[in-house]
This record gives sequence, structure tokens and C-alpha cells, in this order.
Amino acid sequence: MGADWKLSGVNVYAQSSAAQKQLLHEVNHTFKAGEITLLVGRNGAGKSTLLETMAGLHSIHRGSIRMGNESIWIKRGRKDRLNPEVTLKLGLAMQNAQSQWFAASVREELRYSLKPYQVGDAAAEARMERALNEAGLPPEILTQDPWTLSGGQQRRLSLACLLACEPEWLLLDEPTAGLDAVGIQRLCAVLAAHRASGRGAVVATHDLDALLPLADAVAVVSGGTVRAAAAAAAMKHAAAAPQALRVLAELHAEAALPPLELALAPERSGGAPWPAASEVAAALALALEHRTAEHTQVAVPEDSSSPKQKFLADKEDAKESELPKKAINQSSGMRSDRFDPRALILSYLVLAASIFMQQSGLELLLAGIATVLLLIPFRAFIRPWIGILRAYAIMIMIFCVVGGIGLDPLSFDAGKAWPIVLRFGKLFLIMMLGMPLLNLMTPYRLQRAIEQTFGWLGKLGVPIHSFALIVTLIFRFIPLLTGEWERFAKLAHARGKADTPLRKVPLKNVHAVLIPYVRSILRLAEQMSDALEARGFGYKKGKPVYAFRLRFDRSDAWLLSIAGGCGLGLIVIRSLL
Amino acid sequence: MGEIFLEHIVQIELKQVTVIPPLMHEGQKRKPIIQNVSMMIHKGEWIALIGRNGSGKSTLAKVAAGYRAAGVTGKVANHFHTAGKGKPLPIVMQQPEAAMVGATPWEDVLLMLEQNELPAGIIPMEAERALQSVGMGERLHQPLGTLSGGQKQLVAIAGCIGMQTPLLVLDEVTAMLDPEASSTVLRQVRELHENGATVIWITQKLEELLETDRLIAMDEGTILFDGQAGAWFERSAPSAKDSLCERHGFEAPYAAQVAWELEERGIRLTPFPFTAETLAKAVSSYGR
Repeated sequence: MGADWKLSGVNVYAQSSAAQKQLLHEVNHTFKAGEITLLVGRNGAGKSTLLETMAGLHSIHRGSIRMGNESIWIKRGRKDRLNPEVTLKLGLAMQNAQSQWFAASVREELRYSLKPYQVGDAAAEARMERALNEAGLPPEILTQDPWTLSGGQQRRLSLACLLACEPEWLLLDEPTAGLDAVGIQRLCAVLAAHRASGRGAVVATHDLDALLPLADAVAVVSGGTVRAAAAAAAMKHAAAAPQALRVLAELHAEAALPPLELALAPERSGGAPWPAASEVAAALALALEHRTAEHTQVAVPEDSSSPKQKFLADKEDAKESELPKKAINQSSGMRSDRFDPRALILSYLVLAASIFMQQSGLELLLAGIATVLLLIPFRAFIRPWIGILRAYAIMIMIFCVVGGIGLDPLSFDAGKAWPIVLRFGKLFLIMMLGMPLLNLMTPYRLQRAIEQTFGWLGKLGVPIHSFALIVTLIFRFIPLLTGEWERFAKLAHARGKADTPLRKVPLKNVHAVLIPYVRSILRLAEQMSDALEARGFGYKKGKPVYAFRLRFDRSDAWLLSIAGGCGLGLIVIRSLL
Repeated sequence: MGEIFLEHIVQIELKQVTVIPPLMHEGQKRKPIIQNVSMMIHKGEWIALIGRNGSGKSTLAKVAAGYRAAGVTGKVANHFHTAGKGKPLPIVMQQPEAAMVGATPWEDVLLMLEQNELPAGIIPMEAERALQSVGMGERLHQPLGTLSGGQKQLVAIAGCIGMQTPLLVLDEVTAMLDPEASSTVLRQVRELHENGATVIWITQKLEELLETDRLIAMDEGTILFDGQAGAWFERSAPSAKDSLCERHGFEAPYAAQVAWELEERGIRLTPFPFTAETLAKAVSSYGR
């Protein structure tokens, strides 16, 4: 029997510096060993975050997570580190666990998962064989490339990777999504066997039909909070009722089913908190026999709180409580279609050129003041870049020190360091000015700006339209690249059990990760091109079609005149000084 | 949808289509993904395409939509006029995000219609109409990143509608969605179908079926069953447990399980109900 898993007062915030969004709020919950606990709740309620927090993939702001007597985070020096005593006891399968392969063959893939456990070769082979068997995969598969497996096989393999580690706790995120009926049955069998050996599991799922019959406990996740619930009550908080409830509700609504005590009994013996199909059928058969025998209408009073209506009413409540959150999401500052990209770029060039022309320290100071003033309306877009700005400032200082130091004799020559400050200072300002640009224009608008400005080049045989589309696609691809890298970093912790700071690939793993990363990027590109083709992109075109054109309007004129004024002002002041 | 005499306009015709993928490396077996498949798709049909993982559903849909795939033999004929002449029909897949290039729903649909060369003048109007038809009219300019998975699916579907596609091909579009989002997407597509759209709905979830659907079940690259959805659940004798659904290991909807249990108790409901609504109706009208 393993140890219970106890979360007390856990708070987690989103890690992006842009907005301090709270993901989990004062979570107090104990997951009992030897039980299967379902996490239910809407998309975005925080189920995945909770699972990842339990696995140590999010650092906790406040509170503690303990498995038995061991805390998952231990203080070592200045920073918290993950406790291997805990992480080795858990196995996490993240959402889309089927597309996270590192290695060239299934054997190496399993090996990667097993590596932190330091088992001998023979033992590893035995474990792999057992895990494959449990997950329902043939042993021949070991030599295959995991990416050549079918979707269903890949899902099984991700389960096998977990099982090979023989963890005390299984943490599964939407394990049934996209699985066929046979796959779901097998998953349930694996979970049941896991529990039978006294170990525990926490499963985030929408699929109550398949998994609720198996669950010992249910925790409802909603708006970042977690509370325990009885299985029957939990169904109300799931995003949709299991099929059985919908059937019962319809039957009651049509007055076809007499009020049954078996409907929604809070604690039922057979696992699922709803009646089996045969029980419903038996009750219906009884009622129908009566009807045919007596041929009299059974008057069923219209109960105002019939399950269907009650169920719907609960849904409404739940909906209303979601509303305010959505309203908050809407407010996100300046819209990206406020300015014409051409006006933005022109303004930027004017300002950059005028800053570049400044020579003395005083002039640089003035330019700096102008830059800061100009950026005030756009300050929200600068915030995410503060880390980079700070790093750049430190770099300037280091260069100054290095440039100013004389060795023979040891001295500091400010005259040598000063030009460095000026030069890099100007670049610093220009860089800052450029930062809001990405937020102020969407790739599509930039594409149109290029097409409208340089479209005439098309007549000269320059493939300007393809180029412009590529610009859009590249902008679309960059976030995918960084997202993929972060995913790999997460995997290094989830499967590789690294104990380094989060969201970074540990240095000793970089070489192992690099090739899979490039492979996965190529795969992403391939998927993207397939998906684009499926939407009709990439076929040979006749004349380009512009469904909308950018127009230079008043706000653009304002922007340009302010930028031009500032630039001109800087130059005039400079000539006066 | 009681019109049996719906105009039987054949939109797509597949004749003995086989797809054998080219060899990737030595020693691999040449196993066809789909084998000898013939079928016709009529205007206004809702075709529910089911099958296990790897049974060839997606490939069949791709071939029907006119995609070039390596190793296709047989005849694929289509009889419709699309905005994009001779191009394959757009398909919406499990994760539409991969192909979303616009920053807002409005931009994304516009960009797609431009790339598919619709007349420039009608594109903005068509895009807005299409987004409205899937219930996204109030979110035209909301950043795509703030939309939920279901809403992104609806944007992708709106793109296809904007192109006036004669056939909506939806490949497990609800697989990655939570039940609420799934039912929203399904409801919107059902509404489009009621307004005349032809739909191929690929799914793992049999509870998404309706009585009027044409059901095509695939296994190992061949068509197991093609007909009214009700026949899929029919047993030869009440307790025979030999319906096609059971024999091929599909998980029957709860309502169908109840109806089977009733049959075993001597209560036969016709037509065989397998959705909650029809089961309730059949029970309440039984013997009256």
C-alpha cells in the first residue's frame, strides 16, 4: 500500500511574466492510495494544471504537496528542487501523450522512460515486455519507429511507457480521447489492475460513461479550486451528463418511466452511479406490461422537479458562474487592427533614424526621454520583454567595463567606455521602440501591407505574393517552435524525472533532446502543410485575390505625424546644441 | 427529414478504390489502407463514418474529397461545381489549430477564401455570413488564442462553408473537445445539414448518431456496413446478441442497450430506438 497524496493550501500562478493569472487557488485535497480519483470539470477549469502541479511541472506559489511524509519540493540552496523520492513514484501522461516520442525505436523510447529508475538490462527487458503486454501491444513492435505506429498503437505505447516504470501513482490526462471502444476497455482493465495492487490513480476526464463506473472518488475542479464530491453529484458538474442520465431524463420527461427509486441513487453497488441498462429495461417492462394489460392510461403527475428540468437548471447555474470570467478575458488592451502596418513601419524607421543620428550623452538622454514618453500608451506590450531588456542592459555594462579597463597599469578609462555606452544605448532605444510592433499588427495585415506596397513587383516576375504569404506563415510558426521547446522541457521532467528548474531543458539532456526536437519540428511543419493543403492553400493561383485592403486613416496619420514630429524635434535640438 | 424522395443527385462516386501506400523501407508489408471500396454520396445526406483506430476512415474521406494520395487505384468521380475549380474539398480535422493562420476568426476565414480564389468582392460578406451560420458572429474579431477548442473547430467549419463546399468533411472534429463543446459543434453542424448541407461525419462516438443518418462502418480498409443507422443495431433474435454493432466490438449507445434489454423481455420497439429521444417516444407510444 502506497502513501496518500496530500495537497494543502496550494496556489499556482501562470508563469508568463505578462499577466499574473492565478491557475490554482487554495487547493486542499487528499488523494488516497489504492483509489482511483476522477477529476471532472469544464475545459479550462484547471484539471490539467492540477495534474501537472502534482507531478511537479508547475512551481507552487504557496502551500505544500506531500506524498506520505515526503514533500515534492525540497529546498536546496537558493532554489527549490524536485524530490526524486516523490517524482520516481509517479507516472504522468499529459494530454496528447501519443505524440511525444523522443527516440528512433519503441525499445529506446521505453528505455528513456526507464532511465531514471536505473534498472539493469535484463530487468529492463522484462519490464518492457510486461508493460507492452499489459498495454496490449505485441513484443515485435520494439524495433519499430514509434512514429510509424497507428494512432491507437501510439496511445497504447504511451501507457506502456508509464507502466514500465511501475509507478505507485498514475496521473492521466484525458486518456480516453480518440480511443476506440476496445482501447477504452483495455485502459479500464489496466486501471483496475493498478488499483487491485494497492496503488492509486488520478484521472482527469470528460468521459464519465467509461470511467465513472471505475472511480472510487471524484474531485470537482472549477475555476482553479478543487473539492471532493460524491459520484452522483459530480455528474452535474461535468460538462455533459453521461448517456444514461440523458436517457433517464428523456424517459421521465416523456412520462414513459414511472418514478423510479433506482434513478440517481447516491451510492450504488455496481460501481456506476446510474442504473445498468438491464435495470432500466426491467422497470420499463414492468410498467409497459401493466399498460397493455389494463389498457388504461397511467396518469403521471407532471413533477415540476423532474430530473431533466432539475438537471437543466443546474446547468444554467453553472453557466452563469462562468460568465464573469469570460468578460475579464475580453479586455486585452489595444487591438491589433488599430493601425496600418505601413504607418507603423514608417514611423518606426523615422524614429530609429533620428535616434541613430544622436551623438552626445545629452542627446541620447533626450532621445531616451522621448522614447519612454512615446511608449507609454504601449507599455503593456513591453512588459513581457523586460527580461530581455534587463539582460541587454547588463550586457552593455559588461562591455563598458571590459572596454574601459586598462591592464598595464590596472586602470579604468571612462573615455574608452563612453562610446560603447552611446552606441549600445542607441540600439537599446531602437530595440525598445520595436517591441510593441508585433502586437500592433497581425501577420495577415503585414502580408497585405507587403502586397499592397510591392505588388507591382509581381509584374516583373518577382514572386511577391508567395513571399508575403510566407511572412504570414513564419509568424504563425515561431510560437509553435517555442511552444514545442517548452513541451520538451516538460517531458524532460515528466518522463526524464529531471530535478532542474522548470521550463528549461536540463543541460545534460540537451544533446539527447536536440535531434528529437528537430525531428518533431519537421513533423510539425509537415502537419501544418498537410492541414493547409486540406484547407485549399498551396494550389497554383491565377491573379491574387484581395478580399480587403488596408486604408490609411486618421489614426495612422496621427501616428505618423507624432513619430515624424518627435524625430524632427530630436534632429532640430541636436543642431541647436 | 422525412423526404424519401429527396433529389437523389449523386455528388461523388467511388468505384473499387484501393489505396496501397508506397513502401517506406525494405521488409515492410504492402498492406492496403482501403481496399475495393465503392460508394455513392448523394446531395443532402448525413453520412456517419465509423470504424476503429486505423480502419481507413480518414483515408476514405480524403479520397472522396479529392485529395491526391500515393497509391490510389480505382475511379473517383465528382459531379459538382465548387468555387475552387478542380481542387480537393476542404477537410476539418481533429486539431484545426495547425492550419489556422489568421489572428482572428474573421482574418482566418478571409485568408482561406482568398487563397481559394473566391471573387474578392464577395469574400468579406461571405466570411461574415459563414461565421454567423456557425454561431461565431459575435466573435469575429476576438483573438484566436482566446477561443476555446470548440470555437476554433467552428471557425474551421465556417471556412469550408464560406467556400460553398458541396460537401462538409469533418474528421473526428469532436474527439478532442469536452462534451459541452462537442454537443455545440454537433448541433451547429446538424443545423447546417438541415439547411441542405451534405455532411461526412467521422466519429468514434455512436451516441452522435441519429435515426435518419446513413451509417458507413469500416474495418481493415473495407466497408462492413452501409445503410440506415437502425439496421446496424438489429438483432436476428431478441437475445442473439448478433447485431453488427455487437459483432464488431463497437460500444452501443446506452439507449440501444436499454432497447435490447427490453427486446429480451419481450417488448419490441419499432423502429429500433438508439437515441434517448426516440427511446422515450417509442416507450411512451408503446401499446397505445
